Amino acid sequence: MKGILQRIGHILSLLSPMTWLGGLARLWVRWFGLGPFSFVLINAVRNQRRATLTVLSVASSCALLVTLLTLQRELTVPPESEGASLRIIARNKVSLAQPLPAKQLATVEKIPGVVAVSPFTYFGGNYKGEEMTSFAQFAVDPARFRELLVEGRISDGSYDEFIKDRNSCFVGADTMKRYGLKIGDKMKFTGTFYPVDLDLKIAAVFQGTVDDRGVFFHHKLLDELNGDPGTVGTWYLRVASAEVANDVIARVNKAFENSTAEVRAESERAFQMGFISMLGNVKVLTLSISGVVVFTLMLVTVSTMSMAIRERFRELAILKALGFRRRDLFSFILAESFGLAALGALVGIGGAWALWTFLDLQKMTNGFLLYFEVTPRIMASGAIVAAVLGILAAIGPSLAVARMSVVEGLKTLD
Amino acid sequence: MADPIVVIRDLSKVYRQGDINVIALNGISLGISAGEFVVLMGPSGSGKSTLLHIIAGIDSATSGEVRVQGINVANLNESQLADWRNQNVGFVFQSFNLIPVLTAHENVELPLLLTALGRKERRQQVEIALGLVGLADRGHHRPDQMSGGQQQRVAIARALVTDPALIVADEPTGNLDARSAQDVLGILQSLSRDAGKTVIMVTHDPKAAVYGTRELHLEKGELARDSVPS
Repeated sequence: MKGILQRIGHILSLLSPMTWLGGLARLWVRWFGLGPFSFVLINAVRNQRRATLTVLSVASSCALLVTLLTLQRELTVPPESEGASLRIIARNKVSLAQPLPAKQLATVEKIPGVVAVSPFTYFGGNYKGEEMTSFAQFAVDPARFRELLVEGRISDGSYDEFIKDRNSCFVGADTMKRYGLKIGDKMKFTGTFYPVDLDLKIAAVFQGTVDDRGVFFHHKLLDELNGDPGTVGTWYLRVASAEVANDVIARVNKAFENSTAEVRAESERAFQMGFISMLGNVKVLTLSISGVVVFTLMLVTVSTMSMAIRERFRELAILKALGFRRRDLFSFILAESFGLAALGALVGIGGAWALWTFLDLQKMTNGFLLYFEVTPRIMASGAIVAAVLGILAAIGPSLAVARMSVVEGLKTLD
Repeated sequence: MADPIVVIRDLSKVYRQGDINVIALNGISLGISAGEFVVLMGPSGSGKSTLLHIIAGIDSATSGEVRVQGINVANLNESQLADWRNQNVGFVFQSFNLIPVLTAHENVELPLLLTALGRKERRQQVEIALGLVGLADRGHHRPDQMSGGQQQRVAIARALVTDPALIVADEPTGNLDARSAQDVLGILQSLSRDAGKTVIMVTHDPKAAVYGTRELHLEKGELARDSVPS
């Protein structure tokens, strides 16, 4: 029994990356002889359990940091699309919740530079009795809305059918897939902003936009259900080119100046950013948590390096006696600390990247997280934090070693 | 008598322990010639280890002067002193002080990493040093795979691999059985007698002292007797 357990322990130790690194160091010495690199590597993995735990601590902290930064990006930076620079959203200057008069359409479409314009009203209903539906529904003018679709394509059904049938809708491919829908199926929505419900027939499916989840339906239907109030939520405009966008924004704003419904026009991106700001200061929250993670990471690495060096004071004293200088010892400690931190960063950041890249988060979070992309910039931030901490963690032990005299070092541990 | 390799003049060392000054060495003056095997003896706290450490450049004196091969060790800065120790002094300690994760060969090679020698030359030097202490075939063994006596012989090989003029040994037989102690003392004696190395050894053991060519007896930080071991 003992033999079997020993064998299992041996096999498990073979699975440890530290065992491989130790073996690599030994091979390095055999091929290239003893040198600073192999000396540092041998020392770094001499206590395999501690080295493994250190690497795992740094790895999990880095993974958490990368995840938080990715989450912050997901929540605060809207995805950019090719056509976003050509689209403008005009809303009521007072607030997004205030509607605009439908009669403004005639003025807006005459503004030079405007190629297309459609009412664009957020319905905010819940699908099939869901408590919170994660995809948005908008009432649009189907004929005009077609001109606003710069990217994306009709992947199923017919847009003309959508235009013809006032009770039909135009649905994103992700939503179709998620709910197992097909052309001709019904989609029922319970209104939350509006005291009306919708019963829509799927006429066409779109795909290839930055967000293939939305559902679009006839504004006329919404008007009819609400007793024709003569209002729209916002105006969605497309301009001739990105160069004229700012001029168009200024003209739209000016056109309704001093009217009963002043307008605030802005680019699609600016509009999305304004919408996000309503979520609260997500950035400060995630950065605060990231700060705590980084601080914990620092405590872990500093504590580990201090322990590792403290239990080697005698050896470092011997090295000093043999003629190694303070800067040599500092280099050894720094390389060891940096190496462990770098390995932890590689495992943690690589692991986070693999996890969030290959996991279907959109499905798992019911569409709350759409892209959750671990960008090179985020990975670089994690790596820089780990590297800086690796260096900082080496400073304390190095100073202690620099201050230690050979005699002290020998006395302490003899 | 040959010119002294170590010249000590009016050497004093005072430690501060709280509010009290403890005199470890008090006005020591002596000269040690090249090739001598000097044994430092005396009761605990007599200052023999302190004297050894100051001669070897790992501790500093409060006053007085130590010259080794004409160099005033106190005038060297940290880097110069490190280089000087690497080139001129070999250390042997009571508890061997080998690096446990390195093999015997690598432990002996360590001081050579600071020299300009190439890998091949380093290997040759290490093999010679291990051969001199009778461990040519144990180079690939780690310290925990060797006996105390063998570990101390590896430590001696490490001490002489850079071909230093001076070998300092602080109670090198303190942790060894009688047989291993004899082997180690025999090697140190041979280094002094046959290789012309100057060996300074601290010991409590009168039997070890007979291997030396000169015995210095310290008491309360002062040189009480300078004699030939009998």
